[in-house]
Amino acid sequence: MTVPAQPQGAVASSADEATAGAAPGEHTKDSLAIRGLIFARDRGLFVLFILLVIAFSLWADPYFAQWSNAVLIANAAALTAVFAAGVAVGVMAGAIDISIPGTAALAGVICGKLVSGNNPVWLAIAVALVVGVIVGVANGLITLRGFNPFIVTIATLSVTSGLAEVVAGGYTIPGLTPLTFMGTRKYAGIPAPVWIVIVLFIVLTVFLTQTRDGIRFMAVGGNGEAVRRSGIHSGRYRVMGFVISGFCAALGGLISTAVTTEASPVADPGIIFTALTAVALAGVALTGGRGSLPRVLVGALILATISNALTIKGIQPYWGTVVTGLLLMVSLGVEKAVAASVERRLVTAAQASVHSGKR
Amino acid sequence: MNDQVPALELTGIDMHYGYVRALDKIDFHIMNGEIVALLGDNGAGKSSLLKVISGAHRPTAGTIKVHGRDVEFHSPTDSTHAGIQMVYQDLALVDAQDIATNLTIGREILRKPPLGWLGFVDKKAQRKRSQAELDRLGVRTAAMTRPVEMLSGGQRQVVALARSATRVSGERNGVLLLDEPTAALGYEQTKQVEALIGRIASQGIACVLVTHNLGLAMEVATRIVVLNRGRKYADILAAKTDNDQLVGWITGARPSMFAAA
Repeated sequence: MTVPAQPQGAVASSADEATAGAAPGEHTKDSLAIRGLIFARDRGLFVLFILLVIAFSLWADPYFAQWSNAVLIANAAALTAVFAAGVAVGVMAGAIDISIPGTAALAGVICGKLVSGNNPVWLAIAVALVVGVIVGVANGLITLRGFNPFIVTIATLSVTSGLAEVVAGGYTIPGLTPLTFMGTRKYAGIPAPVWIVIVLFIVLTVFLTQTRDGIRFMAVGGNGEAVRRSGIHSGRYRVMGFVISGFCAALGGLISTAVTTEASPVADPGIIFTALTAVALAGVALTGGRGSLPRVLVGALILATISNALTIKGIQPYWGTVVTGLLLMVSLGVEKAVAASVERRLVTAAQASVHSGKR
Repeated sequence: MNDQVPALELTGIDMHYGYVRALDKIDFHIMNGEIVALLGDNGAGKSSLLKVISGAHRPTAGTIKVHGRDVEFHSPTDSTHAGIQMVYQDLALVDAQDIATNLTIGREILRKPPLGWLGFVDKKAQRKRSQAELDRLGVRTAAMTRPVEMLSGGQRQVVALARSATRVSGERNGVLLLDEPTAALGYEQTKQVEALIGRIASQGIACVLVTHNLGLAMEVATRIVVLNRGRKYADILAAKTDNDQLVGWITGARPSMFAAA
């Protein structure tokens, strides 16, 4: 593992190679096995999704493998995906945001109230999203005081779903047709919610993987102490997690309001569990600090794909939930196998000698 | 190394926890490029002294000088700014992130504006700088893109050491505090980390090594300081002492070098 220090010139030249975009020196490459494991861990879900699509294409032949059906699946997955993004970002920061259904209901009802009061639609949407952000800030700041985030968000779930009922007076607000532009309307053949999901996931993924704040955010979720010792205030990143999940919750509330053109004040805790299923399928560890949003999107797509294929074959949709549960357990098994394999390789690496020059 | 001002100098450090005297008039100094091992039994005051140096605790009395300048540490951040870095036993790495990210967090390289304004980081430049920093220390671990959780214990220790070392080697070389750097490692890995500590010191960084491990101290340290129940019992060049003497000082069987004074 260790070698005598190279002369300065050699270091500079290997660095120049890296600039040119060429392979930067042999010692920066990992062995095939390690890269395979990293691939299985990071991209395994994509492979599973492709296999599922191929299998269903053969099984549910003429009807499944069609563009119109793909659009149907994407549309069905969209709402789950938005909530799953919120849950995933929360989990990456180290906390499950239980308040998501309440925030969604509150945002939907406030938007509905404003729209039915003949206010501009953009204003209604903006206010609803700001409400989501405010709930997130509140969750974050309270959690920073040292309270358990789980309990704090249960409390805000109660507060927000209660407020939703208060705002709506206990009744569903109907006839919100001005919102169809982000509900059932199609653009270039693709429904609006799918477009929203595409934009949301691109923005969040780029933020989390390419920007300084996003990378620090992930690092704080993984090991807040390590980041704090690097001289970074970790508090603002913890709040940021709740803000993003609050925003996603409000966005999800808006989409479901727009799709049904009515705002229901009833918070449905079930959306947490559906979203959590997609997040778990995506291998986002509940301990925080890891996970990727593209995988969460695929997780949501897998859920929608399974129920779609079963529906096409005329099988009761209840079986979809059964299959999803089994799939989740299988994915847990695969994850464990990969982790164990990595550990085995580490043991062999540790036994390799310094003097033989092996890693 | 030719400058005669100590990188770090503590004079008359007292530390009381209530009625307990954890440190009693400790004098301690370390020059640039020196490796000083801090030995002592449990409760001898090693950790307390380390906490005073790293700014986690404020001493009851005494002065601290960094490169001859008086300093007062109110928090670990203060000591970090003064050029003192602590490598903790638990390493404090972000497991899910790759080596380059762990080495660069807190001092990221941003892309050129427009994207830089939005906080986009230049990952390629970060990898390049991390690789260059590790090369300068003569360290080969793994690809810069390897997540830390996929490294062996020794490699992790190396990354943690390198991260701290790169943070103290600015225009003025700093002080590295190492708390049991080889506690969790096997034989080969211990040898690697020992060699790395030697190379870090040869770049002019002062290394304070806190350990229970006499062998490690004799192997890498140039000078050895023994604490016993809050007092300094010995301060001697490693070449001028041996295991028996050190054990005597650590257990208190041998009278302090400074007893007469």
